Amino acid sequence: MSIPGLGIAPTAATPTAAPTSTATTTIVSLQPFWEWRFEVPVSSSLTIRLLSGTAEKDGTELAPSTPYTFSGAKSKINTWKGCELQVTAPTPDAYDAYTSKPTADETPMVSYLNLHMKLEGLRAAAAKAIGNGEGDMGPRILVAGPANTGKTSLVKMLAGWATRMGHQPMVVNTDAAQGMLSLPGTLSAAVFATIMDITTEWGGIPSSGPVATPIKLPLAYYYGLSSPDENLRLFKSLLSRLAVAATSRLAEDPDVKKTGMLIDTRTPNAAKGGYDLLAHIVAEFSVNIIIVLGSERMTAELVRRFSGQRTSLGECIHVVGLDKSGGVVERDAAFMQGAREATIREYFFGDVRRSLSPFTQSVAFDGVGIWRIMEAPTTATADSDDFYNVSSREQLLEKVEPSLMMVNCMLAVMYASVHDAPETIRDSNIMGFVYVADVDEKKKRLKVLAPVSAKLGDRPLLWGSYPEPMVSL
Amino acid sequence: MSSYQETEDFERDFREALEDLQVNNRYDIQNLTMIARENTEHALAISQVLQDHLKRIAPHKKLPSLYVLDSIVKNVGTPYTLFFGKRLFQTYMDSYASVDMNTRRKMDEMLKTWKEPIPGSIDTRPVFPPDVTRPIENALIKARTSAMHAQQQNLRTEQQLLGRGRSMGQPVPYRETPTPPGSGYRPPSQASGYPAEHAASMANGSPHGHPTQPPSHYPLHQQQIPPTRSTPQPPASLHAFQPLHGGYSMPQSGISVDALTDDIQRLITAFKAEVSRNPHDPSIQTRLKALLDLQSLLQSQNLPQDQLVLVKNRIAELAVTIRAPPAQIATPVPIPQPVAVAPSPAAAPKVSLDSLLGSGALAALLARGSATPQVSTPQPPPATVAIRSPPPQRVEPPKVAAPQADPMSLLNMLRKAGMLPATTPSSGSTPVPNVAPSVATPFPLPVHGMTPPSLENLTGDIAFKASSLKQYVFRPHLLSFMYEALGPQCTQCGRRFKTDEEGKKKKTAHMDWHFKVNQRIAETEKRGQHRSWFIDEMDWINSRETIDEDYVAPTGDSGAQGSAAKAPKLQYIPVPDDPMLANSVCPICQEKFETRWLDDAQEFVWPDALRVGDRIHHASCHKEAMGSSAVGSLYSRNTPEPVLGKRKAEVSRSHLEKCTAYGLRLTEPKQDELTGIRGKLKMEAA
Repeated sequence: MSIPGLGIAPTAATPTAAPTSTATTTIVSLQPFWEWRFEVPVSSSLTIRLLSGTAEKDGTELAPSTPYTFSGAKSKINTWKGCELQVTAPTPDAYDAYTSKPTADETPMVSYLNLHMKLEGLRAAAAKAIGNGEGDMGPRILVAGPANTGKTSLVKMLAGWATRMGHQPMVVNTDAAQGMLSLPGTLSAAVFATIMDITTEWGGIPSSGPVATPIKLPLAYYYGLSSPDENLRLFKSLLSRLAVAATSRLAEDPDVKKTGMLIDTRTPNAAKGGYDLLAHIVAEFSVNIIIVLGSERMTAELVRRFSGQRTSLGECIHVVGLDKSGGVVERDAAFMQGAREATIREYFFGDVRRSLSPFTQSVAFDGVGIWRIMEAPTTATADSDDFYNVSSREQLLEKVEPSLMMVNCMLAVMYASVHDAPETIRDSNIMGFVYVADVDEKKKRLKVLAPVSAKLGDRPLLWGSYPEPMVSL
Repeated sequence: MSSYQETEDFERDFREALEDLQVNNRYDIQNLTMIARENTEHALAISQVLQDHLKRIAPHKKLPSLYVLDSIVKNVGTPYTLFFGKRLFQTYMDSYASVDMNTRRKMDEMLKTWKEPIPGSIDTRPVFPPDVTRPIENALIKARTSAMHAQQQNLRTEQQLLGRGRSMGQPVPYRETPTPPGSGYRPPSQASGYPAEHAASMANGSPHGHPTQPPSHYPLHQQQIPPTRSTPQPPASLHAFQPLHGGYSMPQSGISVDALTDDIQRLITAFKAEVSRNPHDPSIQTRLKALLDLQSLLQSQNLPQDQLVLVKNRIAELAVTIRAPPAQIATPVPIPQPVAVAPSPAAAPKVSLDSLLGSGALAALLARGSATPQVSTPQPPPATVAIRSPPPQRVEPPKVAAPQADPMSLLNMLRKAGMLPATTPSSGSTPVPNVAPSVATPFPLPVHGMTPPSLENLTGDIAFKASSLKQYVFRPHLLSFMYEALGPQCTQCGRRFKTDEEGKKKKTAHMDWHFKVNQRIAETEKRGQHRSWFIDEMDWINSRETIDEDYVAPTGDSGAQGSAAKAPKLQYIPVPDDPMLANSVCPICQEKFETRWLDDAQEFVWPDALRVGDRIHHASCHKEAMGSSAVGSLYSRNTPEPVLGKRKAEVSRSHLEKCTAYGLRLTEPKQDELTGIRGKLKMEAA
């Protein structure tokens, strides 16, 4: 059974075991503060319908009696006032779920709600100050914490709540391992002015046709590696770039300005200057509130680091440690990889609700300019101060010829020109991605799958090692 | 093996066994420990039951159950230490707050043993890891310090009142011996650090300056820890130890809020005494009520000076009425009792007030009256708002002294706020916990037609402290801001719309949007769709979110800002109605035109198309064929390529070069602009 490929046999056999099994429907009733936590693999799906009461997923409310179909998700539906859900799945074992029954005293959701309400208070104050022509900004919140503590969920929840109350939070993702409204390997920001599509992670990536849930426009930069310490200098420079763009948008867009930012982070790697990186993010985005989930140790460390510090706007930096939700589950490497592949597949081909048609095109080798993102030499990683040291500035990008190595890789299309300097290319934001389907070294031609049928023109392509090559797109 | 049913049965049995445990019986405790040891598979349930039990039972029965907990963690250890450890802070502090001094001392001893390894065990680790016990210890130390202040202050205020009627000698010795007999606490060192300026401003600001006022006063938020629970609940106690805010130590111009609050507090104490003497005089009660309201108002808001003047005048008026019969005060007010006997020096008036308002009321009143002063720090403890019956801004300062005709109104209000039991006489002597009512409080109270409470004010009590956010104080009145206050949901997406005029307008626009989008989804299903490119940095910065409007490619308008002359608009023509023409191909490249919906035009169009005479060309093909820049200039980088994407015609070499040149030109000023913006931001910051 451990041989790859044999795993298909039992799944193929299941129809015989349950040939007549029709969709199973269960009714889940939840009392206030309860949560219905579910896991559904990528290979199956489940549909949830809110029958009565109110329920929300990550801060976004479910519409009454509207079916929501989930696939490849580990998440939860929670309720503040009690609700009844109808859960439909193709087979009884299609998903795994249970109900957590905390009281108001026990659930950390209450502390998240308190936090949100406090933020609302600050936003109201900021709006008033902006109305008076003062330079105030809404709160800028950074969520940190160890792995699997629900950081992204909290960011999503705060964004969902803010949106519901008519605000426009800017959400910034600084965890390159997971993309937000973009592919993994990118750093991105987007303004959430409208309701989120709860059946996906963050909602759909913009596409040509109309969609039922309003689309959010992301601004993305390509890092091309998964961990910040693989090339800290590149990572920091992209972060700064993202921060400049995000801050400019914030400064010019009053709706966003009064709402502020919500920043998701990756678990800091304490051994490799992870806290310095957090400090860099805090400084670049003028963060004034740091929420640490599920780690008193990290809270203490950050309190020590930021106590008495002020943002560039002169506000105090608050560091608050909150409990993580008891429902946070570990997402193992296989699940994460599955999720990444699903994201990439969806980028090109769309999802069940609408299929997209990408375009395959064949390009001559000399018709494209490809740069490879270098991993920093280990010495540079060890000493992060090299970032500011001009003498140690080695190339971050290296121009490469197309090769068989690139087959099955993702290349980022940049908003720049092949004639630009490598630094300019590196700092440009992403236009999109292409997938290298084939490289013919004899004919010197490259077959790529692009989301849009237009020619790539002189757009430079960046080749990173992350997201990892995908054998079967 | 343990089925759900089994666990439930077990839980019930264990709960019953716990309930049977009335006194400190060694045998019973051992027995329960044995049960716990033999049923570790039910460890979670057992710890749950025990914790719940501890939360529920009357204070005087808590100790035996605590001993059960203690015995289990010491004799069985894991997994119980893990389960109890998780919520030990809450369990311990809740119990500690409600029990008497003797039990507290026992609990202190217990906590001490938890920090040490089990005697006789080879394991050198403490019973509970330090990160479990340390927060409790810290909270206790802080609570003690503040309790000290509270007691001292209470003694002082009582004595000032008493002192007027009789000997003046008392306050001095008390001031120097802050430790009441039997309590064994040390006075905190910061107690005397009250700035002289403040004392001066107080004397000025006080309309009824006390001749006997001792020179040293304590910062407000320390002096008024609820006397009923000398160990306040964690949020309050932790909060009470915030470093002093600037406002306290700085000399203030005009009227000092602190001085005012001091005065009010003194008046409240006086009125309480008054009430206990004349329990049937409604006017005193209304005044007391007004004072309490005024107090909460003062603490929850930063009132402007002119309003402070108003408040001050009212207080002066009230002060006159209370000062008038000072001689009578002497006897009826009982001298505060030492802490060892009653947990609070203020417990004495209980007798009379209890008879008036029902037992437990005083506790609630005191908790309210005295817990609120802590709020005078800008970020008050969480429980306060929930308890305060009317939202602060509903009580206007001028109303304060206005007598309320109905003596029952106070009782009613208290009852409504959950401070009084529904039936006035009640047998239980348990003080009303000050968090519990907050959940039951229907908020906002549908009384007074005044300004609706704003979120900014209501959330003023939440501080960026884990203690304030985390203490699981659920604020149902805040939750309503995310539900009821937003109106009913849209049935399609769940968004909420208010029912007022503006909300209705928005909802109409929203429903129109849904309709249009659904229609378009049905239409586009037949046609191929594809992912579009992300937009450029500058476009993104300049884009604004559109709500309930069709998604309009931001390229058009933002591009127009920067390069209006170069790319005035998208080159397209509407799809011709003539079927002959509709099937035509570009005469240059012989390819068909792509049909696309254009939001701007609200119709189907052929992008990159150009009508020349009666023939339709691809604009780019035409430009290339003509070699003229007249048409070509219309098609630049900002045309639909990135967003609308589809462009059939081959891009000529020259065109590419032009784009490149343009792209380069665009990049440089873009950089400058960004740095400019950034510089501007930094400038503002500086």
